[in-house]
Amino acid sequence: MRPLLRYGVVCLALSLAPAWAQDITAPKSAVAGEQVTLSIAGSGKATFYLIGPGISNTHEINLGEEIKLRGDVLRTAGDYQVVVCGDPCKSATFYVMPAKPFSISFLVHPSRVPVSQSDAVSGVAFPFDQFHNLVLAPVPISFQLASGKASLLNKTETTKSGAAWFRTASSKSAGPLQVTAAFQDISAKRVVQQVASEPCNLRLTGQRNATGILVQTEPVHDCSGNPVPDGTIVSFTANAGGVKSTVDAPIKKGIARAQMDANGAAVISGASGVVMGNELHMGAK
Amino acid sequence: MGRFRLNSCANSLIALALVVGTQSSAATDDAIKVQLDAAKTGPRAVEPLTQKSIVRDYRGAWNSMAAALESNSAQPLAGPFTGEARQWLGQSVSSQQKSGLSRRYSDQNHKVEAIFYAPEGDVIELHDTADYQLQILDRGKVIHEERVTAHYVVLMTPSADRWTVRLLQSVPQF
Repeated sequence: MRPLLRYGVVCLALSLAPAWAQDITAPKSAVAGEQVTLSIAGSGKATFYLIGPGISNTHEINLGEEIKLRGDVLRTAGDYQVVVCGDPCKSATFYVMPAKPFSISFLVHPSRVPVSQSDAVSGVAFPFDQFHNLVLAPVPISFQLASGKASLLNKTETTKSGAAWFRTASSKSAGPLQVTAAFQDISAKRVVQQVASEPCNLRLTGQRNATGILVQTEPVHDCSGNPVPDGTIVSFTANAGGVKSTVDAPIKKGIARAQMDANGAAVISGASGVVMGNELHMGAK
Repeated sequence: MGRFRLNSCANSLIALALVVGTQSSAATDDAIKVQLDAAKTGPRAVEPLTQKSIVRDYRGAWNSMAAALESNSAQPLAGPFTGEARQWLGQSVSSQQKSGLSRRYSDQNHKVEAIFYAPEGDVIELHDTADYQLQILDRGKVIHEERVTAHYVVLMTPSADRWTVRLLQSVPQF
């Protein structure tokens, strides 16, 4: 009788005891946004936990049944921890890898650049999947720079650890520089405004009028022949009998003008940035 | 109604405790060890002062992340994180609030290598081999604990007064 009783107690205890979570079978890696199936050996009920980037949930499961994790809970790339608590708790980890490239994050500098400057324009491209995960597998990014109809750069750089970059000179002509980073049918476009460089030559002319001397420049260009942008300052200096006076004038419609007070003979010069203009020798009134 | 008031009062106290907890854990920022190696960084070299700032701000970001995921409060994330990193961490916090789970990161060591620094210095990519103790808690009870060695790809960008983490993506290996 005793052994039978003992057997019965053991059977009752086994049937009431929570089933043990045995091994958790998870894929070593999965792709973002795609369903993952886990299998957890055992029988009976247990508590299932999923902890990953952006997700943390728990629910009761029946051991031995497959667990399907929907793609929408696995959108963020990274490591996911599965914990199953029957008695005892067991855990497993799997990685969700980024999906294929969907967009390109493209940083281009600067937004305005003088023409004919070496290493003046640079860009960095990062490919992202549709869930905004950085794609770390090598991706050939095609960089194209065009100014008007002229192609300035056309080269392909393969991403290393998710980044590809270029650096190049600005073109000789002022105007918009179209900068494109592309991979297959994905592209990102930016525009860099190329502006005239420093004035190359300052030619001054002057004439006396009722109040002094009206001095002005000829149309101001950089060394590539691009008109220097309006607003660029030209400093005019009059030296009359050892007395110096300076007037700063912005270029308007390509020309800078200033009215100088000088009744006697005067030597007038002009400068913009590091460029000096010709000297004007004006006689006395 | 009375219960609601009690609950909201309790919630306020909890929130206050979390804020105080966050501040006190911020004070223990130095407990997180971060070593930065920028010897092979390109195409731009990382200046010593920039290296110091990055170490300070990356350590601060992990401190804030640990505080946020332990206390289930998104408040510590404002500032150190932006963009995608801020978004998924915020989702993690709200998801944990719903499920009653939390994570505790402790004894953190980060060996960080700066592998890409953009020509204009507007983005830096780091590879972090992080080593830490991780506990997963269900309503305060530890259900899982392990020593973790994890690899993270990190993008940081400079903002007005600090470097912020824009991307924090774990990978199986570099």
